[in-house]
Amino acid sequence: MKERIENLSKLFDQKIKDVTDEKQLEELRLEFIGKKGSVSLLMNDFRNVSNDQKREVGMLVNALKQKVETEVENLKQKLSDQKLENELKSQKRFDFTMPVNPKTGALNPRTILQKQIVDLFVSMGFIIEDGNEIETEYNNFDSVNVPRSHPARDMQDTFWLDNGEVLKTQTTAAQNRILRTHGPKCRVLFPGRCFRNEEIDATHENTFFQIEGVVVDENVSVSNLIYFMKEMLKGVFKKDVNVRMRPGFFPFTEPSFELDATCPICGGKGCNACSHTGWMELCPCGMIHPNVLKEAGIDPEKYNGFAFGLGFDRLVMIKTGLEDIRSLNGANIKLLSQFETKI
Amino acid sequence: MKISINWIKEFVDLDGIEPEELVKRFNLATAEIEGYELKGKDTYNVVFGKVLEVKNHPESNHLHILKVDVKKEVLQIVCGAPNVREGMVTAVALVGGCVCGHKISPAKLVGVDSYGMCCSAFELGIGGDDEGIMDITEDVEIGQDIKEYLPIDDVVFEVDNKTLTNRPDLWGHYGMAREFSVIFDRKLKNLEVDDLSKYDKLPPLHIKNNSFNCYRYSGISVDNVQVKKSPLKMAVRLYYAGMRDINLLADITNYLMLELGQPMHAFDHDVVHGIEVVEAKKGDKLLTLEGQEHEMPEGAVVIADDKKVPVAIAGIKGGLKASISDETVNVLFESATFDPVAIRKTSRAIGLVTDASQRYEKSLDPEMTTLAIARLLKLLKQIDPKIKVSSSLTDTYKKEYPLPVIEIDEEFISRRIGEKVEKKEIVKILTKLGFSVTEKGQKLEVVVPSYRATKDVSMKEDLVEEIARIRGYDNITPRPLNFEPKPTTLNKAVAEEYNVKYMLAVKYNVCEVHTYIWNYSDFNEAHHIDSPSVVRLMDSSLAGQSGIRSALMPTLLKVVSDNRNQLSNIRVFEVGRVAPSLDENNLVNEEKHLCVVLASQNEKPEDLLEELRMFIVDYAKQNLAIDINFKEGQVPSYLNPYNSAHIVSREGDWGYLGLVHPKVASSIDKRLNIAALEVNFGELSSKEGYYKKVKVPSKFQSVNLDVSILTPNTMKYGDLDQILNKYRSKILNGYRLYDIYEDPSLEGNRSITIRYELCGKDHTLEGKEIDEFLSGLIAHLAKNKLSIKK
Repeated sequence: MKERIENLSKLFDQKIKDVTDEKQLEELRLEFIGKKGSVSLLMNDFRNVSNDQKREVGMLVNALKQKVETEVENLKQKLSDQKLENELKSQKRFDFTMPVNPKTGALNPRTILQKQIVDLFVSMGFIIEDGNEIETEYNNFDSVNVPRSHPARDMQDTFWLDNGEVLKTQTTAAQNRILRTHGPKCRVLFPGRCFRNEEIDATHENTFFQIEGVVVDENVSVSNLIYFMKEMLKGVFKKDVNVRMRPGFFPFTEPSFELDATCPICGGKGCNACSHTGWMELCPCGMIHPNVLKEAGIDPEKYNGFAFGLGFDRLVMIKTGLEDIRSLNGANIKLLSQFETKI
Repeated sequence: MKISINWIKEFVDLDGIEPEELVKRFNLATAEIEGYELKGKDTYNVVFGKVLEVKNHPESNHLHILKVDVKKEVLQIVCGAPNVREGMVTAVALVGGCVCGHKISPAKLVGVDSYGMCCSAFELGIGGDDEGIMDITEDVEIGQDIKEYLPIDDVVFEVDNKTLTNRPDLWGHYGMAREFSVIFDRKLKNLEVDDLSKYDKLPPLHIKNNSFNCYRYSGISVDNVQVKKSPLKMAVRLYYAGMRDINLLADITNYLMLELGQPMHAFDHDVVHGIEVVEAKKGDKLLTLEGQEHEMPEGAVVIADDKKVPVAIAGIKGGLKASISDETVNVLFESATFDPVAIRKTSRAIGLVTDASQRYEKSLDPEMTTLAIARLLKLLKQIDPKIKVSSSLTDTYKKEYPLPVIEIDEEFISRRIGEKVEKKEIVKILTKLGFSVTEKGQKLEVVVPSYRATKDVSMKEDLVEEIARIRGYDNITPRPLNFEPKPTTLNKAVAEEYNVKYMLAVKYNVCEVHTYIWNYSDFNEAHHIDSPSVVRLMDSSLAGQSGIRSALMPTLLKVVSDNRNQLSNIRVFEVGRVAPSLDENNLVNEEKHLCVVLASQNEKPEDLLEELRMFIVDYAKQNLAIDINFKEGQVPSYLNPYNSAHIVSREGDWGYLGLVHPKVASSIDKRLNIAALEVNFGELSSKEGYYKKVKVPSKFQSVNLDVSILTPNTMKYGDLDQILNKYRSKILNGYRLYDIYEDPSLEGNRSITIRYELCGKDHTLEGKEIDEFLSGLIAHLAKNKLSIKK
């Protein structure tokens, strides 16, 4: 009996080697462990086995049956995997090197850079505000210490409207309202579109964007302003920037400064963009004039602060490499759509 | 403005400081120097020579052959100057020498040898005269290098006038010298002047000042001026500073202006016997020195003679009639100060900006008028010692600027700068700048000098600037601010602007543009767009663009028009400001609008509209939690009235969308379908709905029930929806539009299939419950005169 079991096992080992498809495998299965399979038939002869061997033979038969089941099952899985593999191989294949054109619109490069700057200022604790484009004479001039007789008020420089209002000439027009809203301890950034009555050419626009910031607190000093401007420009240009300050003159601030930064294009070596000086005038700024604070209801003896304006369009041109400032206001879609959402 | 360092050095010793250093420090402390020129660098080996003999050139009718004595030798020089004559002293460039970069070597001119070159002032770069060679009448030494006699070697700075706007004291060399003396800590020399009190006993001039815009008018007269031509040294200085020599009397007033910043004028005293300062009457005209006639605006300050005939436009330009001529021997000098705004306005009105008007606009110090006269007499006497002052100093002083007295202390200055500044240093800087400083205990009492008191310096902060800039801003250590950190976020209006822009660009494939605020009336008219402005520019020099837009859509339609030849799909949006109306105080109700325009040659109009509808519902839902609906209503005439709708929500009416009126669209481009949307974005984005509470879905299986409802073709889905919305049931989870079937067999109706989702909260639905739901629905529809399609 033991011998038969042994032989059957050997036979099975031999036969399974020749199986190449599921049909043959099923035949093999039936041949051995089907109802009339040779392993099942072994059981018929089980009664002839002597009692003392029954236990041992029983185990051997079961082991053989299990072996056949397992090996058939394994081979079945293997054959089906092979079949799938063959099918996959013969299927149509996708060309991953085809060009990909995700559909996307575009933001004006100003929006992209403005958002970057706004995020930078939010991270420095600034509140971001919005302002009107049409302003009263009071907001645009009187409240921010522009004298009645200042040439900026002339028709040659300012767009006056027939109802007595103006197209705001600088973002400072929003300062009075902002200082009143946010009180004496504040840091606020307010981007905005401004207008000047100028002849338009590649470097001059009558419609342009500025970004202005104010910081008011107790004991703000010129040294704080310099620190701050440096940090800000570092954030904008994503590298260390040298700055220098020169005297400037604006009615809104006293003292007033022109802030130059190392030319971001040539790195200070001198190029056409910086008129070969290595410096670029980027940021008019100064300590807020006491009259401006007073007019906003803030006591200039107790509080003071600084304000700065970023020549934003110029920055956009540096960042984008656009050379004609008019292209920012023009609607040349073929040009503008190239920026998508990053610059 | 051009600044000569030689001139500066007359008042302050700047020896040992390189031009680069002067420029750098001045730029950082005072004002912007745009560049500088090294004068005389390329001119050398030029000497004074005497023309001994002039012979005509045998082969040329304009050349002469000269014998010129240059002391060491007598040179043969061929010369083409028309003014050459025997006995004349001129400038001779020697062989081996150089004239403004042009090297001199022996030459043959039309066959005749020439050893040197006789030069004009222009060729030497020291004057404007190029009519002939220099005709030197001054007593010079033959053979002497002209550089030993004339200040040809010089450094000339070009200062950016804009940066001097608030510094009237820097519009002359003496003021500049003071500034340099402080920056480099050198001593400023006193100005040499004549003592005017000597003339107090002489009769006064007839001077009447009838204008409040003339702050001060000082005059003095001088007789017996015999010298007509300015000394060469003076001519060179004038030329380097950007002016030309004309005649001594005109030149000396210009010289004084360049030196002290005080414009002066010389009248022929035999023509003008007295001065009356008046204001122009309508139609008053003046013929200027240049022969141009100017009509003066009414009220302009005018200098008239004692018969009230205008002789000059005050502070701007002198008239021809009383000007200095070759015959003038007796002269009346004017030194005056005027209201800066009055001068600026007149200057703009007549379109004439002069060296004088530029200075007056900056608020000149009236204290300078008499100083300028005293200085002028001193110089004039040196040039022409025989002159005779014929009047006393006659002075009308109407408006004196008060001298501000400012109290400061070391602590305030240090705190504002952010650096410790010693009292000693403060006193030193201010004193050198001309402030008078008195110590009063801890405090300093500072009196502003008159030349800084006209508008520039009046308060403590101004003194902070003086101290900080002279110490150097680059000597300030940057220090962080102390402040309490507070959480910040974007203001909602700003945040939503970015949100909507990113959504349109990224999700809806639209391109953002920035357009001007003008209303393009010509474009609008040409394309049947009716969009009038409520405000206009006062100055309509921007022809055709004088109005301010009241809506964005017309401008974006112009963008479509401008791009139609480049693109077949134009998808643009703008978030921009418009002026749609005025309030009761006549102020603009400014609104921030969003406009999206989709134009396409191949997409169907309904698809474009669908995109717009989708976008606005999507945006409002995602960002504002607001449910948008569309409602019929009045839209602008450039939209198709039958295919447009208002964009509304429970919170209000936000704007409209629709197809652009075919009349407009086809006028822009026949190939294009155009759909557009405009909302009051500022208002919409300020609203916030509420987000619905999350419902936990039932564990039991839900059932879909499709119901087809017959509705008249004229009935909008929205109307049906309102009816459906009112039918409630415990097992109703929700419903949505599933299908619309249109067919003539339905006889003026269409079949709208609604898919209901039904579900029991705590049990599996039974057929009976579904039947009850359906029969209830049928009854509800019947009440609204609707039936179900079997």
